[in-house]
Amino acid sequence: MIDGLGTTGTSPLHRLAPGPKLAALAAIATALFFLDDARGLVVAAIAALALLRSTGRSFGRIARDLALPIAVIAAVGLADLVFVDAATAAQVVPRLLALAFLAHAVVTTTSSAALLDTFERALMPFERLGLIDAARASLTLSLALRFVPLIVEEAAEIRAAQAARGLGSHPIAVIVPLVVRTLVRAERVAEAIDARGFPPPRNSNTSRREFVSEATTGNDHPHEHP
Amino acid sequence: MSDLASGARPAVSQTIVFDAVGVEREGRRALDGISLRLAERRIGVVGLNGSGKSTLLRAIIGLVPPTAGRITVDGRDAVAEARAVRSTTGLLFQNPDDQIVFPIVAEDLAFGLKNHGWGRAETRDRVAAALDRLGIGDLSARRIHELSGGEKQLVALAGLLAIAPKTLLFDEPTSQLDLRNRNRLVRVLDGLPEQAIVVSHDLDLLVDFERVIVLEDGRVAFDGRAADALAFHRGRWA
Amino acid sequence: MNTRDIGYVALFAALIVALGIVPAIPLAAGVPITLQSLGVMLAGLILGPKRGALAPIVVIALVALGLPVLSGGRGGVGVFTGPTAGFLFGWVAGAFVAGFLAQVLDQRADGFVKRAVLLSLAAILGGIVVVYLGGILWLAFFTKLGLTKAFTVSLPFIPGDLAKAVVAALVTVKVRDALSIERK
Repeated sequence: MIDGLGTTGTSPLHRLAPGPKLAALAAIATALFFLDDARGLVVAAIAALALLRSTGRSFGRIARDLALPIAVIAAVGLADLVFVDAATAAQVVPRLLALAFLAHAVVTTTSSAALLDTFERALMPFERLGLIDAARASLTLSLALRFVPLIVEEAAEIRAAQAARGLGSHPIAVIVPLVVRTLVRAERVAEAIDARGFPPPRNSNTSRREFVSEATTGNDHPHEHP
Repeated sequence: MSDLASGARPAVSQTIVFDAVGVEREGRRALDGISLRLAERRIGVVGLNGSGKSTLLRAIIGLVPPTAGRITVDGRDAVAEARAVRSTTGLLFQNPDDQIVFPIVAEDLAFGLKNHGWGRAETRDRVAAALDRLGIGDLSARRIHELSGGEKQLVALAGLLAIAPKTLLFDEPTSQLDLRNRNRLVRVLDGLPEQAIVVSHDLDLLVDFERVIVLEDGRVAFDGRAADALAFHRGRWA
Repeated sequence: MNTRDIGYVALFAALIVALGIVPAIPLAAGVPITLQSLGVMLAGLILGPKRGALAPIVVIALVALGLPVLSGGRGGVGVFTGPTAGFLFGWVAGAFVAGFLAQVLDQRADGFVKRAVLLSLAAILGGIVVVYLGGILWLAFFTKLGLTKAFTVSLPFIPGDLAKAVVAALVTVKVRDALSIERK
């Protein structure tokens, strides 16, 4: 779960820094919304697919990755066909497909660690202005990730316990204890965070990157999510 | 001797003073009229649930401010100088899942170090040293949710040791451990040169301690040698 | 934001993600309710407007980092270039509104039924009306369906979400009876 969707690879796109990739994605996405010509959009979609394929992902893999988004786009196309007209569908479907392929190309060639770095740098001016506290923000994100597997486990335990009383399918009987446990845990964790000396002194030059990548060995390689 | 070396280290301790301390929470007195001078290297605290044991520990590092009286750790006020106190005094919580904050072991240890101002290179060294000291160096890159309860507790302890505290506070350290892990923790505890104040229901853990304090309803009911204190406590609830 | 706020927001964000992973729970009628958007309603109702809105913001940040945290294992910036992203962004405003209304309307002293009704109202206005507003606007733009048609295709999801709103209200009353957390 804490591994992102980025994968290892050596294609040019892999080697490009996240900042330019995201900027390019945003720019192209905006441009696509100004393009109304169905043929042009189909070309764009094919080019996007080719780009995605060039990152080393097989077509079969792409189809599996994007099954859900493609299904949604197909449904949208159908809705356009039925509710508007064929010309609109012919425009919307390739545009959304192009966006999906391009975004996926960015996502799968960029590690979460690299993205984190980029967002941090982007947020630095806001931090200088005192609008965002990077230490608190990155702690909050890591904390959330850290507890997801535990809460999933607890949900399963509670469900099993309630099932033994015939209440396994009762949403309230499962959700109430889960929420209560989660909030109690939140209070205890907050206490532990204080006990461990958070927040760091203002004048120290530490950034989130230093929290993470340097303290771990070899863990800022993007992994494949199983 | 560098404190990064795993090996013989000098024993360290602090002097923790409770001066007529009272703590009121939710309308009841969790601690009442506590005056103690804690300087011994191994101090145990026992009592029934609700006797104030956990509150006592939390008060030492300013997590629970006293509503009466004052607590100092080597002269520093537990509330006013909480940051300084917390840099020399670590608290091991009963449930390691409440204390481990980052998803990967080394990241979590780094968190404590960063909070106390250590830089990048030193952090890396201290993380490795702390894990090695407890024999869990191989867990460095592991994900927390894949670890067993005993391993998580050692990770939490390593996180405290990494900042080189003088005193470690333990809140029911063996309550969630099976026998094997309990015995492992006992060995760790035996070998710690740091001062340890241990709250425990597991009375056997405290048998060799220099001093054991018995709390009842937030007050000190007995304060003396381990054997006497434990006999007193056991006698009360036979 | 003090440490307690960090704890509540982060853990609730984790809860929202976890609810996207656990299997849907079938209601008595046999229709399963998927739980992630329920988690968003709960964030607002229980934590209040500001902290409640921060929880889905954390989830969105995790999505941006390329993590598969949305139900179905979705994640990555591709989510933001899709037709349904408006619902995701709508979570933030929706939790805020639900939290604000809960703060104003929910009184501990009131009876269970009254509290449940008022909180359901808060959940519906925040968790459904506001969320769908964002979702439908985005959808209409992305798909060129136009507002009315976009609304029509979203209609089938509303009954399920109404049930979620009621569940969220009931859960909130019980949770807030068990713990005392101020709404911020």
